[in-house]
Amino acid sequence: MHLRRIFAGALGVMALASITVLGASSSAHVAKVAKASCSTSIAIEAPFATGPATQLGLEQLHFAQLAVAMANKANGTSITLGKDDTGLNPSLATTRTNSIIASKAVAAVGPAGSQEVEAVGPLYAKAGMAFVSGSATLPALATSGANTTFFRVVPDDDIQGPNDANYIIKHKLAPAGSTILIIDDQEAYSEGLVAVMTPILTAAGFTVNHQSYNGTDTGATLQSDFSSLATSQVTSATHLVIVPWQSAGNAQQFGQTLQQQGKTVTLFGTDGTDSPGQFIIPGTYVSNFGPDISTSKSAVDKAIVKGIKKYGAYGAFGVPTWEATTVVMNAISSVCKAGKTPSRSNVLAAVRKTNISATASAMGVPIQFKADGDLVAKAGYLFHINSKGTYVEIADK
Amino acid sequence: MAPIGVDEWVARSGDRRDQHSGLRGQLARANERVGWWPRLLLVGLVALLYGKVIVGGNVNYAQTGFNVVLYAILALGLNIVVGWAGLLDLGYIAFFGAGAYIYALFSSHAFGNLPLDTGGVLLPAVASIPIAVVGVGLLGLLIGLVALRLSGDYLAIVTLFVGQAFAEAVNNVAPGTLGGANGLFGLKGFHIGSAIIGSTLGYYWFAVIVLLVLMALLHLLDTSRTGRAWRALRDDPLAAEVMTIPVNKVKVMAFTFGAIVAALAGTIFAAQQSSVFSTNFSAQTLILIYACLVLGGAGSIAGAVLGGVVVTVAQQLLSSPIDSAYLFYGILVIVLIARVRPWQYLAAVVAAIVAFGFAAHAIVGAISHRAIAGSPGSSGWFAGALRHFVIVPAGSPLTYGNVLYVAMICMVIGVVQLHGIRRLVAVVPTVYVAICCWEARLTLDPGITAQIMIGAILIVTMAARPEGLLGTRRVEVV
Amino acid sequence: MQIFISTLVSGIVVGCLYALIALGYSMVYGVLKLLNFAHGDLYMVGAFVGYFAIQWFGGATALIIPVPLLIIFMMLIAGFGVGALGVAIERFAYRPLRNAPRIAPLITALGVSFILEDSVLLLFGGFTRNYNTPAFLPFRQSIHIDGVNIWSVQIIVVVVSVAMMFGLRELVNRTLFGKSMRAVASDREAAEMLGVNVDRTIAITFFVGSAMAGVAGVMSGLAFGQISNIIGFLAGLKAFTAAVVGGIGSIPGAMIGGLAIGLCESFSSSYISSQYSDLIVFALLIAVMLVRPQGVFGQPPLQKV
Repeated sequence: MHLRRIFAGALGVMALASITVLGASSSAHVAKVAKASCSTSIAIEAPFATGPATQLGLEQLHFAQLAVAMANKANGTSITLGKDDTGLNPSLATTRTNSIIASKAVAAVGPAGSQEVEAVGPLYAKAGMAFVSGSATLPALATSGANTTFFRVVPDDDIQGPNDANYIIKHKLAPAGSTILIIDDQEAYSEGLVAVMTPILTAAGFTVNHQSYNGTDTGATLQSDFSSLATSQVTSATHLVIVPWQSAGNAQQFGQTLQQQGKTVTLFGTDGTDSPGQFIIPGTYVSNFGPDISTSKSAVDKAIVKGIKKYGAYGAFGVPTWEATTVVMNAISSVCKAGKTPSRSNVLAAVRKTNISATASAMGVPIQFKADGDLVAKAGYLFHINSKGTYVEIADK
Repeated sequence: MAPIGVDEWVARSGDRRDQHSGLRGQLARANERVGWWPRLLLVGLVALLYGKVIVGGNVNYAQTGFNVVLYAILALGLNIVVGWAGLLDLGYIAFFGAGAYIYALFSSHAFGNLPLDTGGVLLPAVASIPIAVVGVGLLGLLIGLVALRLSGDYLAIVTLFVGQAFAEAVNNVAPGTLGGANGLFGLKGFHIGSAIIGSTLGYYWFAVIVLLVLMALLHLLDTSRTGRAWRALRDDPLAAEVMTIPVNKVKVMAFTFGAIVAALAGTIFAAQQSSVFSTNFSAQTLILIYACLVLGGAGSIAGAVLGGVVVTVAQQLLSSPIDSAYLFYGILVIVLIARVRPWQYLAAVVAAIVAFGFAAHAIVGAISHRAIAGSPGSSGWFAGALRHFVIVPAGSPLTYGNVLYVAMICMVIGVVQLHGIRRLVAVVPTVYVAICCWEARLTLDPGITAQIMIGAILIVTMAARPEGLLGTRRVEVV
Repeated sequence: MQIFISTLVSGIVVGCLYALIALGYSMVYGVLKLLNFAHGDLYMVGAFVGYFAIQWFGGATALIIPVPLLIIFMMLIAGFGVGALGVAIERFAYRPLRNAPRIAPLITALGVSFILEDSVLLLFGGFTRNYNTPAFLPFRQSIHIDGVNIWSVQIIVVVVSVAMMFGLRELVNRTLFGKSMRAVASDREAAEMLGVNVDRTIAITFFVGSAMAGVAGVMSGLAFGQISNIIGFLAGLKAFTAAVVGGIGSIPGAMIGGLAIGLCESFSSSYISSQYSDLIVFALLIAVMLVRPQGVFGQPPLQKV
């Protein structure tokens, strides 16, 4: 019995010792790596493990990993990517951001949601650290002045909303004077788009029926929401339903419910519903801020579509994150080429000077930033789903 | 099999008989002799040590410390309702959220013009904290009155509704004032005059002071008539009523006190985050608070605080891939040490695992070189040794990892069904498959792995010690 | 009138599924006094099993077996598979806690729920899947009443659910197992002393309850299309509500409760507002609980002195 206690005690001491040694040696290991050429680290914040948008978060994560691998190979750098899950939750994003700021990362990609950027923007600004988002589209993020180190590679909702509304009016997607049903999913992205599109449509003479459902509902509860919306809100005077949601799966479920009830209306989705694998109701219009690169002939796009297979499935939502990560990687590499060690301040300055031509960018749009972090070029794309369920790109003017 | 009609005294005397002799027993007896107040001082010293020495300017550590203290306060409040009074309150998060939102309303332009950031009723923290606490206390009183009609699981359901309804209401109702999905941000922090708490570390110190004062007050409450009334109510409401305890008043008091503590925690939380969002008060947070309380030991103040520490630190560790590897291997080692007795068997099992691993690796390597060409996911000094131990194919294919994962789960469930020597033999391949699965698959998706490990920790700790770390074993007379 | 019929149909379909899950809750609560918060995740696993069954048989657009056979296979595979999973969970996670204070199994159930949800996320990724039911059960296969289309899948869901509920009632009232289950639910120690094999009874109860949840999962995939790893949480919550409102531990109560909640959701969404439908359902249910605290079919809690 005495022996047993000695043995247990020895095991315990060994365990403690090994953990301490592990800790010391792992940091030594990292220090050794840092001596190699232009090596530093960046971090990505995305909702890839918890929260309601894990599929989008995983897409963003995988595309970021691909971008890091491609840029490391092209620029001869060895930059590592730290992964931080935010669950689309501003509180979790704040915790992760604080840990990123406390780490050695020199820049960050993400976060994905506009409400997360609102929460962490001031933190990054205080740390003087650049962060580039591939999906936060709330206009106020750049204009409010609180997020001085915020950049985004996608146009904000003030572009997409009016573009879509004007297209609807110009191309008469609904008969004049009819009712347009616009449904939001009670999240900031959706409500922002509704707020921008409604006045434009009302001014053009349409009656706008604004409804809403809980976007976090799933399964049977979600079906109740959709059934009742389709039953009671899609009247005979309704010919167009706008669904500016962040879930292509929900849009598909709603579309199928409409079909099952025999209601023939046109659906109009925004970039959050753009998913050629999931939202395939024929006759639908879907707008996005980037083209579907899976059919593009450009060298960059082909490399992306081929390379992503190693990390995960292809999805259009991840492409802007690839772009954002590449912006950061190129900025760091340019700092190294000028002979300096990457630090937060010089990487921030390099990001501000980003100038990627249209042919070198994945989305076919030149990447340059204004002083407040918004893109200089503004683009929008529109797709129409044909009878076979394929996305066909059409002109959005 | 449950002893029929056994009550707490008998269960406790069984505990006393099981007490260990030697060092552990000496520590336990010294603990009882020292008394409660010196132990509180010890907690204060530990918190002081952490804040002054370990944090050292690292914002990450300061945030962890703050989270620990915040969850400890929340667990203390929940302990009043669930641990002492035995009322299953699944809507506790609504009190936390209400406190945070009331503070936010009075510290931002919510009552004025939100989009333009002007106007509103801005009160200093000295005024808005009491308003939040009193307001939520009244809410707790109201819920308590409702709870009088309901018992047990019916109470659980109604309080669950209240919790869900709160999150929904705050997200949808009056978005111009409550902020809607965007929440309220840019809140003014705690200040007296011009002295403002600016950093996370500052809020950490404030929360520590609140925690210590709260622990003292709750201890006084626990040893008073009210505390004894709560314990009587939890164990047998009818007997309590017969012994002239005003059961209704006591129930309402439990809810009110729990709400007050939660509201206080809410104001500190809102001030530190300088924003509030409806997603802060979701079911996920409620589950964490319950985990803190139950893991630490429901019914004990020290248990609630310890639970808060353990769960928050575990969460923090799990969010970093290197630390979660330590946690995984650490838990593996602890489970083996705790369950494989005597030590000769333990040594034999460990040796067998090592031998099995190297042998399997060598055999598979001889068959196909590609099958072992991949590298294990962990980094650190043992990665070199692991490379010759685990079977990871080139490129770390997902399918292989997924199959291993399912195999691991099945084998773990199988091991638990076996007994005696068969179990020891089965443990060897199970542990090896678990290590392979970790290196080949689970390290690729650290976020998901963290969630799985939290679930596994909850299951294992409850199976090992259902009363929690510092709880006392209770037998419920059903 | 059209809106009324359509809302009624949708409410009944959703209600039947809630009832099936609520039955599992009630049965397990009855024998173990345990609130199994992981039950909703068993429903989710059933939905995924059904999805992969479709892929195994060729995929929604290119099935290699006739559709009725497919549906039967899906339900059998999901039923038995999820049932077995439920039994394994009981043996592994809940059996050690048979005599622990009631709050400990609550935490264990939450742990099991985490593991189920995140295992599915790990193995199958975060993309939502869609059964694409219209590809093999087209919308035109509907009954038309007064301008409302009642889809064949909706009819299948209701028929199968009602059949299962009747089957369960027969199982509980007429068979020896049913008698053992009622005995264990009433007084576990006494049942054991009278020779009932309590462990086996509990295991079979879990099997039946989980199998029903699994089949409910398959049917929800067929009727609604979209499944993901998080559908279990909300469904479990609603079903738990249904079980409690109907009187927890009571089987007819769970059925009535499930239908009531489904209809309530449907009608409040259609006629009042889809934005506040959740809040309205909550408010109504709180009102019911205040009027009749033990649920519609529940018995007032016995106070043992």
